[in-house]
Amino acid sequence: MSGIIGYGLYIPKYRIETAEIAKMWQKDPMEIFTGLKVRQKSIHGIDEDTVTISIEAGKRAISMAGIKASVLQAVYIGSESHPYAVNPTSTTVAEYLGVGNDYFAADLEFACKAGTAGMQVLVGLLSAGEIDYGLVIGADAAQGKPHDALEYTAASAGAAYILGKKKAEIIADILCMSSFSSDTPDFWRREGQRYPSHFGRFTGEPAYFAHVVAEGKKLLSQSKLTAKDFDYCVFHMPNGKFPRVAGKKLGFTPEQLAPSLTVDSIGNPYSASSLVGLGAVLDIAKPNQKIFFISYGSGAGSDGFVFETTKNILTKRKKSISFTEETENTVKISYQQYLKQTHSI
Amino acid sequence: MKITPVKLWRRQAKVSSQIGKKGKIIAWTTIRIPSKEFTSQAPYPVIIVALESKEKMTLQLVDWGMENLKIGQEIITVLRRLYTEDGGDGIIHYVIKCKPL
Amino acid sequence: MKIHVLGAATTKFGELWDTSPRTLAKEAMDGALKQSGIRSSQTDALFVGNMLAGILGNQANIASLFAEELGEQIPAFRLEGACASGGLALHNAINSLKAGVYKTVMVLGVEKMTDHNSDDVTTALMSAGSDEERMAGATFPGLYALMARAYMQEYGATEEILASVSVKNHFHGSFNPKAQFKSIITVGDVMRSGKIADPLKLLDCSPISDGAAAVVITSDTSLAKRIAKPIFITASEVATDTLSLYDRKSFTTLASVVTASQKAYKSIGINSQDIDVAEVHDCFSIAEAMAVEDLGFSKKGQGAKDISENKYTLGKGKIISNPSGGLKSCGHPVGATGIKQIVEITEQLRGEAGKKQVKGAKIGLTHNVGGTGTVAVVHILER
Repeated sequence: MSGIIGYGLYIPKYRIETAEIAKMWQKDPMEIFTGLKVRQKSIHGIDEDTVTISIEAGKRAISMAGIKASVLQAVYIGSESHPYAVNPTSTTVAEYLGVGNDYFAADLEFACKAGTAGMQVLVGLLSAGEIDYGLVIGADAAQGKPHDALEYTAASAGAAYILGKKKAEIIADILCMSSFSSDTPDFWRREGQRYPSHFGRFTGEPAYFAHVVAEGKKLLSQSKLTAKDFDYCVFHMPNGKFPRVAGKKLGFTPEQLAPSLTVDSIGNPYSASSLVGLGAVLDIAKPNQKIFFISYGSGAGSDGFVFETTKNILTKRKKSISFTEETENTVKISYQQYLKQTHSI
Repeated sequence: MKITPVKLWRRQAKVSSQIGKKGKIIAWTTIRIPSKEFTSQAPYPVIIVALESKEKMTLQLVDWGMENLKIGQEIITVLRRLYTEDGGDGIIHYVIKCKPL
Repeated sequence: MKIHVLGAATTKFGELWDTSPRTLAKEAMDGALKQSGIRSSQTDALFVGNMLAGILGNQANIASLFAEELGEQIPAFRLEGACASGGLALHNAINSLKAGVYKTVMVLGVEKMTDHNSDDVTTALMSAGSDEERMAGATFPGLYALMARAYMQEYGATEEILASVSVKNHFHGSFNPKAQFKSIITVGDVMRSGKIADPLKLLDCSPISDGAAAVVITSDTSLAKRIAKPIFITASEVATDTLSLYDRKSFTTLASVVTASQKAYKSIGINSQDIDVAEVHDCFSIAEAMAVEDLGFSKKGQGAKDISENKYTLGKGKIISNPSGGLKSCGHPVGATGIKQIVEITEQLRGEAGKKQVKGAKIGLTHNVGGTGTVAVVHILER
């Protein structure tokens, strides 16, 4: 059985408050907060990008996993902001992490679920015996169009996961996985366009909820478990409202959901969102606890996983930087500074 | 300066091994009038660090505040973009910089 | 064998919009020839010091270009060592005389910087540093600012004390009709000027300038006999150090300067205190503070303080430093500076320096540095 043997989170230190953005467009900050339930979002430094963010997260995952980078035999990186249209992020990151030359590699795109799709690829390679260790990273240096609703939530972060098969190394087994996919044009970005476009309220019920709930029901049925059997649940977090509603729809309690809600402090870092939420849960989970996980990527699809923690999580966690620690020291920036750092001016 | 893909590629192994190293500032300045390609980043500090390995490097300091500009400040090396301008059709160059610990 | 200076001349230094590299070179070389009393056809070779012709002007092959300007088809060589290009050109010219290969040569230093915007010039000047320093976003003022920071930390000098270097040099420059800036400035002016790279401010930094300087030197005593006040170049030494500043053992000493000057003094059996007048490489105020120490004039760590106490000022000090106004006030057309320094000392030793004359000057020294001390060239002249 495959499982997670280590993970690493990297959240850039800069924050812009939604109130600061609201002020720019003369909107009522309270109205924005009530609608999105997001207080602030993380922003990358002017010289950071998906590659540099991935390297930071990747290094931490390698450190926690306690392996040499050279044993990794697959590297998949999912993002909506790969620095090049053609030239793989995965090999640049692998090179700087010291992986060597003997690995499968590809860049993935599937909106916010590109990282979790990569995780499914790794499970496939591990189960088939093609690899012993693999690295998947979901990372984004996200861009929201000025004056658009997404401007309040599009954030930057990276989450790296190393998967393996050795029982003694696994901190969370992957009990089962599945996906629900369709062609649903709720959110997209054309080649050459700087910012993504979306279709407003269409991104809700027919898109996010349709897929998350469908996959959620499928996963419960597949795992032969009910919501009550889980200790935690994690959903993709485009804003503070959607995951809370999704949890309720699938029968989870606010207590099961609460530890995963990283959106409340960092916003939505796209391909890293659900994986950062998962990391926050793994930071505090005890051994032998079950985690229900559903990601969502516009276009659209949801990837579902059932994780179960092992006793190894206690020792390995000592070597990691938790989400809480990682987001301790932040620097608030102004709207002008935000424009500068996101290369808008 | 002229960045070519070959120069970037040739330097990779060395750069890779320099990421995540700890050290201290031994001299610092703040560049206010930069070279052309650094215009959007100015003002920024340039420092000389002494790493734990005793090696010395001249590096740009990022994620900094005024309180970090002092001799003895602890830093850690990171990999960042050399230039921050978007667009263009050239290769993206990553270099070692450092940030305060 | 004695190396005689037959003729020495400079153009004005400054923002000389109407000039081109060719016109600047011609003016300087003609001036040197006139003073030397010889025709261009009597020169055996041309040595040219220039840093930026290729980087900024896309012009390589400039030694031949300036030989053409001289009107001769003689052997011509370009020497480059960043800001020490002029000094290196002279050193190599002297070597060719000592080797007996040539007898009389023209040495030209020339730079045309104001054809380009300051962004491009700032970038071009960083070619004197290393790839690593360029990738760190350092600028030339930035590298010297790092030295200033280390110097201030180690010796307790303040920005005000360092500012006195520029004040002294502007005072001297006010007597120099060829200087780019002839204005008197105060410490307050320096302190109020815009920051370039902390702690260095605009008035701590030498300017971007155009200019040329030329000397005719010879080993031919029959030519030398015709000169009323013979001046000799008695010492010429070069030393190098690491390309990058961070590789140095100390950030407050230029080892290359110490080595070159010690070799120069030793070669003629004098010591630093025998020098009456010096033209030193004050690309930035901190550079002169370290120079007077590294040349052995002031104790280590005392240089800035001594300058601020007028120990190097015309009419007040013992060893007068930068009577021309130095790089700060006279201007710094990079490749020309090393030769301009020779011109100034020649005039000083001949008693022809006008209002900036150091009375009774008998032995003079020039100190020309490239990069952050990557290369240092020291010449000593006597009458």
